[in-house]
Amino acid sequence: MRKLFGLAITFALGLVIILALNNTVNFPAFGEVNLSERISGAYLSEDNVEEVGSANLVTSIVIGFRTFDTLGEVTVLFISSLGVAFILGRKKQKRMNLNFKPNFMLRVGSNILLAIILVTSFYIILHGHLSPGGGFPGGAMIASSVLLLYLADDRFRSNIKGFKLLEGFAGSLFVIIGLLGLVFATAFFANYLPTGTIGNFLSAGIIPIIYVLIGLKVGSEIAGIIDNFLTEEERA
Amino acid sequence: MNVVFLIAIPLLAAFISILIKKYASYLLVAVGLFNIAVLIFSKNGIVFIGGFDTTISANLLGITLLLDTYTRIALWVVNVLILVIAVLNIKTYRDYGSILLLAMAGLNGLLLTNDLFNLFVFLEISGIAAYLLSTSNKKPVSTFRYLLYGAIGSSLFLFGVVILYSMYGTLNMVVMIREISASNNYTEVILPFILMFIGLGVEAKLLPFNAWVKGVLGNSNVLSGPMIAGVYMAAMSFVLGRLVTNLFVFEGTLLTVVTLILVLGIVVGDLMAFSSSKVREILLFSSIAQSSIIILLFVNGLTIWAVYLIVANALSKTVMFLVINKATAETENDEVDSLKGLFVHNNIVGLTFTLAALSVMGLPLLVGFVIKLNYLTALAGAGQITLIAVILLASLIEGIYLVRLLVKLWYKGEKDLRVEYHFSFKMVFIAIALSLLVFGNYSTPLNELDNSIDTVSEVVNNG
Repeated sequence: MRKLFGLAITFALGLVIILALNNTVNFPAFGEVNLSERISGAYLSEDNVEEVGSANLVTSIVIGFRTFDTLGEVTVLFISSLGVAFILGRKKQKRMNLNFKPNFMLRVGSNILLAIILVTSFYIILHGHLSPGGGFPGGAMIASSVLLLYLADDRFRSNIKGFKLLEGFAGSLFVIIGLLGLVFATAFFANYLPTGTIGNFLSAGIIPIIYVLIGLKVGSEIAGIIDNFLTEEERA
Repeated sequence: MNVVFLIAIPLLAAFISILIKKYASYLLVAVGLFNIAVLIFSKNGIVFIGGFDTTISANLLGITLLLDTYTRIALWVVNVLILVIAVLNIKTYRDYGSILLLAMAGLNGLLLTNDLFNLFVFLEISGIAAYLLSTSNKKPVSTFRYLLYGAIGSSLFLFGVVILYSMYGTLNMVVMIREISASNNYTEVILPFILMFIGLGVEAKLLPFNAWVKGVLGNSNVLSGPMIAGVYMAAMSFVLGRLVTNLFVFEGTLLTVVTLILVLGIVVGDLMAFSSSKVREILLFSSIAQSSIIILLFVNGLTIWAVYLIVANALSKTVMFLVINKATAETENDEVDSLKGLFVHNNIVGLTFTLAALSVMGLPLLVGFVIKLNYLTALAGAGQITLIAVILLASLIEGIYLVRLLVKLWYKGEKDLRVEYHFSFKMVFIAIALSLLVFGNYSTPLNELDNSIDTVSEVVNNG
């Protein structure tokens, strides 16, 4: 009965949403907005793009106009990984037993793959202001390489203390870069470095630096979560 | 001083605290003190993050923070209470230092931000911090239920923000208010407003979105109880109040529906408290009723009295939850009968608890009375006789169960109950009880503030 009631409410809400948003003046169909009439169209205006200096428009919004949100998102991931460690990893941990034995070829092969994944992830992080990608996807790739090592070798343990250190330093530096904006310019997260020529590797001021920090932070946080999920408490 | 410090410094400290875990709780206290200094030395106004534009009318791209009298009161309540709770728990809950730092950053951001998506981000940060705080209850199922409700609530809030953004192309609250009143088509914004109202209603403990509260607060301890019933409740009410008075437009049928939900919340909350035999449940149901009254006042435009009610309620509930949770930690049982005679050997604690309870009931000489008298008068002026009748009826029920509770706690039971309260706890209780008494008798400063709480648009237009 409760489930039926829940289903009815869900359908009713869905119906209300469809009816409320269908055929309204202010809510045009997807992709049919005339951006030049919209306030958000200003994100694309030439002056504003040049002010931020990033060739990647998404980056110019995510790490340019809305860096503060990104700091918040990084914090959400930080507190989530803190929570996982808080619940799962309070005592001394050992590797969980996998129900297969990885062989020698798998271990060596995954090491070669590791190098390729890491190089690609660094490329994506470093070119975040120029091409699609950036700190979040690059960081997730770093973590995926750690996951690969965990799955390919049943005795592997990553250096969790090192990752914690990296996480703390990258996060602190992210905030400090923002605070320096108050010293060298007038606002928190102001872009106080020269933005250079759009499209050059060395351009967009503080954006590439922030992306490197985000990449390291995201990578080490997700790696920490992976470690928490693939280990268990040591029985005394 | 720049108010962005209120968010940036706790965040920085949280990142550093995982490197020096042992000292995290001391770092928390230091940051709490620093925040109070920032509050003293900061000036009201708008802060532009990223420094993209210098005038609010042109600033459509970057994120802005807004500090006005309303936010300032909210920040004082949140930061002082977190500092007090942190100091009281500095030895018992050492591991929670980093989480409290993040909660502090999240709640400050929630109160300061003038950007709807940014509001969602801080809702997430403070929400996850609250789930982690509730793990200290050692009741995983109720924490998980809290997490589920919270996640659904904030998704609905985000959905509402997405719809508003696709309609008006801005996330800035001030610009959004301007655009909505320019388009003059309120029927279209009803859906996003309802979604956002439900989303925040989960955290503000409004009926029927509050099924998580019983599990979390009913098993709370000296850390999670005052944090969630005191600090979070105050912050979420302030945020919802800000949106209700400035952004949301409740008219016609919608107004009736919202009022009905809130009235139900008041009556059901007090009736549940009346029928419960567990002390923590009585307190939590009473705070559900109180939060509905608060939002009802906001909906009726009585901002100033809603603000005072939030502050008085946060202070009283902090004392009450601290007293009861400290005792239940020793008795391991929160049935009213097993706590009989709690105050026989703790007269001072009993006296402060009684003052807090009487203030919640709204008895003369205490600040609760001044507030209740004023908002009832204002409601009478607006011709809301039904609402007055409901609130008076609820107060009657509230009076009965709180007095019944007080009598049992004061009179000796079969067993001789001894609970030790540390000196620091007593100091906090006395300070809060005194402030409830002082402002109950000398209400001039409250009346003076009356004129200085403006809406966001007024603040922006008048500088």
